[in-house]
Amino acid sequence: MIWLICALVTASVLLYVFYLPGKLQLGPEKTRLGYLRERREAVYENLRDLNFEYKAGKFPDADYQSMKLSLEEEAAGILAEIARLEEAARLHRIGRGAV
Amino acid sequence: MFHSRSLAKLGLLSITVMLLLSAGDDARFYQLGHKLMCVCSCNQVLLECNHVGCTYSDRMRAELAANLERGDSDDLTLQAFVQKYGPTVLIAPTSTGFNRVAWIMPYLALTLGIATVVLIVRAWKNRPVPVSPGRVAPVTGGELERFREQARRDTAI
Amino acid sequence: MPQIGSFALLLALCLSAYSFVAGILALAFPGRGSERLGETARRAGIASFAVVFLAALVLVVAAFTDDFSIAYIFHHSNRDLPAPYKFATLWSGQEGSLLFWSLLLAAYGLVLRLRHKTDNRLFAYASMIIAAVQVFFLLLLNFAAHPFAIMQGSRPADGSGLNPLLQYPEMVIHPPMLYLGYVGFTVPFAFALGALIMKYPGEKWIHITRRWTMITWGFLTCGVFLGAHWAYSVLGWGGYWGWDPVENASLMPWLTGTAFLHSVMMQEKRGMLKTWNMWLIFSTFMLSIFGTFLTRSGVVSSVHAFAQSSIGTWFVIFLAVIFAACLAFYIKNRSHLRSEHKLESLVSRESSFLFNNLLLLVACFTVLWGTLFPVLSEWVQGNKVTVGPPFFNRVNVPVALLLLLLTAVGPLLAWRKTSIESLKRNFLWPALGAFAAGVLLISFGIRPWRDVSYLYSLMTIMLSVLVGLTVISEFVRGGRVIARHTGQNLLASMVQLGHRNTRRYGGYIVHFGVIVIMIGFAGAAFNQDKEQEMGYGEKLNIATYTLVCRSYTQDDNPNYESEWAVMDVFKGGKQIATMNPERRFYKASQQMATMVANRSTLKEDLYLVYEGLNQDTGRPIIKAHLNPLVLWIWIGVWIMIVGTIVALLPNAVPVRVPAPARIHAAAPVGAGD
Repeated sequence: MIWLICALVTASVLLYVFYLPGKLQLGPEKTRLGYLRERREAVYENLRDLNFEYKAGKFPDADYQSMKLSLEEEAAGILAEIARLEEAARLHRIGRGAV
Repeated sequence: MFHSRSLAKLGLLSITVMLLLSAGDDARFYQLGHKLMCVCSCNQVLLECNHVGCTYSDRMRAELAANLERGDSDDLTLQAFVQKYGPTVLIAPTSTGFNRVAWIMPYLALTLGIATVVLIVRAWKNRPVPVSPGRVAPVTGGELERFREQARRDTAI
Repeated sequence: MPQIGSFALLLALCLSAYSFVAGILALAFPGRGSERLGETARRAGIASFAVVFLAALVLVVAAFTDDFSIAYIFHHSNRDLPAPYKFATLWSGQEGSLLFWSLLLAAYGLVLRLRHKTDNRLFAYASMIIAAVQVFFLLLLNFAAHPFAIMQGSRPADGSGLNPLLQYPEMVIHPPMLYLGYVGFTVPFAFALGALIMKYPGEKWIHITRRWTMITWGFLTCGVFLGAHWAYSVLGWGGYWGWDPVENASLMPWLTGTAFLHSVMMQEKRGMLKTWNMWLIFSTFMLSIFGTFLTRSGVVSSVHAFAQSSIGTWFVIFLAVIFAACLAFYIKNRSHLRSEHKLESLVSRESSFLFNNLLLLVACFTVLWGTLFPVLSEWVQGNKVTVGPPFFNRVNVPVALLLLLLTAVGPLLAWRKTSIESLKRNFLWPALGAFAAGVLLISFGIRPWRDVSYLYSLMTIMLSVLVGLTVISEFVRGGRVIARHTGQNLLASMVQLGHRNTRRYGGYIVHFGVIVIMIGFAGAAFNQDKEQEMGYGEKLNIATYTLVCRSYTQDDNPNYESEWAVMDVFKGGKQIATMNPERRFYKASQQMATMVANRSTLKEDLYLVYEGLNQDTGRPIIKAHLNPLVLWIWIGVWIMIVGTIVALLPNAVPVRVPAPARIHAAAPVGAGD
């Protein structure tokens, strides 16, 4: 009885681990574009926080303006690269479509 | 039933001890009793050991009371306990010899830590913006203005 | 039955080892077939959960069916043990708790492996590292601490019972909570190490592990305080924290884990402190393994005194291997951890996080140092010394006060730099409030100049008020902005505010819980106690209470014999309660246990201990403790739990970024973090 249970457990485990019919379902690979979008989210969140805290009256004007400026600069760099990559991807698609 | 002789003695002793000691001694008894451990391996402060059938705490409390009654100084009393029960009877390391290290290290860690943090902050303030992996190149001119405007729009409240 | 358990453990070891090796091969040699190999590794990890679960199930069933042919069941259970404690047999001894550790680890691994599509490669790395940790625990279980070892000789008729100290409702949940906390840190550790090994671009791994870390931290918090509450209710010495090595073992990863929870924000938001965070989570994981080692190996003596065994060597080797692996990959890939920004000012949120981390780590170091000093002393000067509560209190109380101060200041500082004007703007009112609280307390009779413990109490309460007021001001300010936008009333706006950024405002609620706990701790400076033999009708006076002994009696049931006293409690001439302090003798294990009678109010606990019968007079000896504000601690813990749950909720308004093409797209109102 005990041996039977052990054998059954082993068999079902082996079947589950090694029987892989069809194509594997895997998530997408991470690209530079994906990374940049994450970065954009982070910077945008910082900017929104800043705006919100400013509205809540936590910072004097001068502090706010300087912090905002530098965050926006950072965002601009990321946005520019995203735009370049998206444009390149679009051209690539069109190119392939034409062939 | 589970009456324990030593426990009975414990109650009786501590009560008689309390009665015998004068008010000043009472405070000293309390104070010194909190500087000693019960050595029965219960790992508790002597006066807080209430572990049933403890064969040590009652005896130790009686000894402490006897020492006080004799008029021994705090140091002498603690020393007598160390002589008899070994250095683990003291609740915290002494401030002599190697035991000093026990006390010094945490403060040393704190001081060094604060110094390090302050130094790090100052060093980081003065260093150039680091080049990190995956860094995005900054943009300038019209492009900067255009994308900055976009960021502003996207995050406006 | 035991054979099935043994077999399951062996199979689980094989599966974990396969998951580890195949995982490495699939990641190291990408190419044709590596995806399928990686998939089998993932599945082997998942299957290992099912098999470990089977082993745990066998052990629990054996406990319920009183199978005393298994040595573990014989040592930790008996026929008359109530059912919940039979279930708790799984974690009440060495072998069982190691099995339980493996089960929880496999369960965390299961969830992780099922969610692999989020980021296949990163998850494959994390899964491989978790498999390695699984292999270690399963090796221990199979070869050093086998839970299914068979009793030698004839089968005993009854077991020797569960330690009576553990026969207490909270003991059924305290170890699982603590273990969920200990084990859970494996997940952020695995992601961190995985991200380092693969040079994962960006900070997404922190985003992925954020919830894991918070859940783990929440469990550990519950575990630590359940332990404190258990010690308070069961050990009967009137206190809740004795700086015992086992308590310390649970506190250390909590301290570094708390530091990690704070400092990852620097990485997520500013791309800074990457190396630091990496090492912080490495240390937290190593400390949780170290904690398991401390409680399980008997290196340092402790009231818990769980075990004296040889598994210590295994742990030391394992710790050395982890450290070597972390160090090697750090040295190899450290360029990947470079910071993206520079620090701009000493007065900024960033540096407040640095100091917060520093203080938490100093506290952790003190605890570690104090715990290990006896061992070190024996090694250096040939004799052990005791490092008791006075040592820990003297060092850690000031550190805790500084941390409270930072808890108040930190959230009000801006990222990057904060001007004096903004400090003034945010601080004036809370500081005045704290000052007023101090004056009020002194006028109520607290004399901080009399004793340093009174001074600490006063400062704790003042700083707690300061933190409380800054937290409230954060809610009110934020609420006002929302109220202006939506026209709702302030309260509804504050609720909405919390919804919009659950992590931030959940965190504030946790801070609020912390100060309530701190106020509870501050009460300890004013504890009183009194011990007296109590005959019929005799009185004991303590503070404003008068206790009168109405009767004392004995009882007997299959599990234990008991003795207790019936005490009427009077206050101001009026009877307000009847309390029954009790002492039990558990038959199977031949051990005593105290059942404390405790009358808890917001102001103070009246805590009665039945110390025993005086053999000569036949009368009970009762010790009464009066412990102010203890209830605040347990309330504070509930607030912390609520805060953690709030922080775990998803944000109500997901942060949407409108498509760049839509020029006038409205972005949602963001709430700060």
